[in-house]
Amino acid sequence: MSAPFEEAVLRAVLEPALGEGLLEVGTATGTAYADIAPHRWHDAVGAARDGLGLAWFDWLAGVDELEEGLRVVVSLLAPDGAHRGHGVLLRTLADRSAPQVPSLVDLFAGAAWHEREAHEMFGIDFAGHPGLRPLLLPDGFDGHPLRKDFVLASRVARPWPGEHEPSGRSRRRNLPPGVPEPGTWGAGEAGS
Amino acid sequence: MSGGYPQPERSRGVIALVEQNCTVCMLCVRECPDWCIEIDSHVERKPAEGPGGRPHSVHVLDRFAIDYGLCMYCGICVEACPFDALFWAPDPGYSALDVRDLVHERDRLGEWVKDVPPGALPAGLELPGASEGSQPAAGGPAAD
Ligand code: SF4
Ligand code: SF4
Repeated sequence: MSAPFEEAVLRAVLEPALGEGLLEVGTATGTAYADIAPHRWHDAVGAARDGLGLAWFDWLAGVDELEEGLRVVVSLLAPDGAHRGHGVLLRTLADRSAPQVPSLVDLFAGAAWHEREAHEMFGIDFAGHPGLRPLLLPDGFDGHPLRKDFVLASRVARPWPGEHEPSGRSRRRNLPPGVPEPGTWGAGEAGS
Repeated sequence: MSGGYPQPERSRGVIALVEQNCTVCMLCVRECPDWCIEIDSHVERKPAEGPGGRPHSVHVLDRFAIDYGLCMYCGICVEACPFDALFWAPDPGYSALDVRDLVHERDRLGEWVKDVPPGALPAGLELPGASEGSQPAAGGPAAD
């Protein structure tokens, strides 16, 4: 029987390695997580990999937390042993004005593509990455489309299916979240 | 169908529509982050029914379509529906050679209800056309 990682196990490995660099340990939806100071990010992932048998790099992603900053999350799993198939999440918050965290590529080669994606989508810089070329976006794409302040142009062009009013009554034009008022953005503004 | 490969019951294969439960409230359409659900409807007046009944208006569904070329399987529509009309079925077998053929309309969405794990459906749900005793139909041929 394989068991999830307990918070205490995660703390026991990270606290001696990081000291003050370990900000918080908790559990969310059944998975233990640890919040790490950005300058200790690489040390934390290395300590978790070597100290807990988390040799399986699952994924790395960004989250736009608005004024809190840009969060980087990595999911590490145990490929075998008592926790086989279970894992932990390590998270760190980078400063929004100059988001930078150390790259994990020397710990997990497979992190390279994930960091390239987080770089183009959120504008996070991974210090030490061998080449943060765009992974999914076309050359010359301007902006970071997974930041919450990024305007999705196709949403301005396409009618929102939620506008249909089942009662047949027409009401003030509803705008879905993330779409600016007409005339405040895009062709209307530029073309005038 | 993918022959014999086991699918966990929780699989997000396809979203099935229990049309009789849909009140055309539009919540799923408005919550869907991908804008991939489209609904059309009209209002009908219903005469009074039973003692003390009054004439009233009901919304009648004309179209319910999900574009699986856009859907990212987040499940927000299933969570958002307050009337038990949307359910996950583990069926992944609806690939198409043209993305336009991934828009599935209410008939097809309704057929998938038979694949919804019986435990996920609300107790006592009587589906029109289901055999007597409301036995949930199994996908595929019978065992014996
Ligand atoms: S699963 Fe998500 S993306 Fe797909 S139809 Fe439902 S709300 Fe939209
Ligand atoms: S949320 Fe449920 S009841 Fe409302 S329109 Fe969607 S499927 Fe129908």
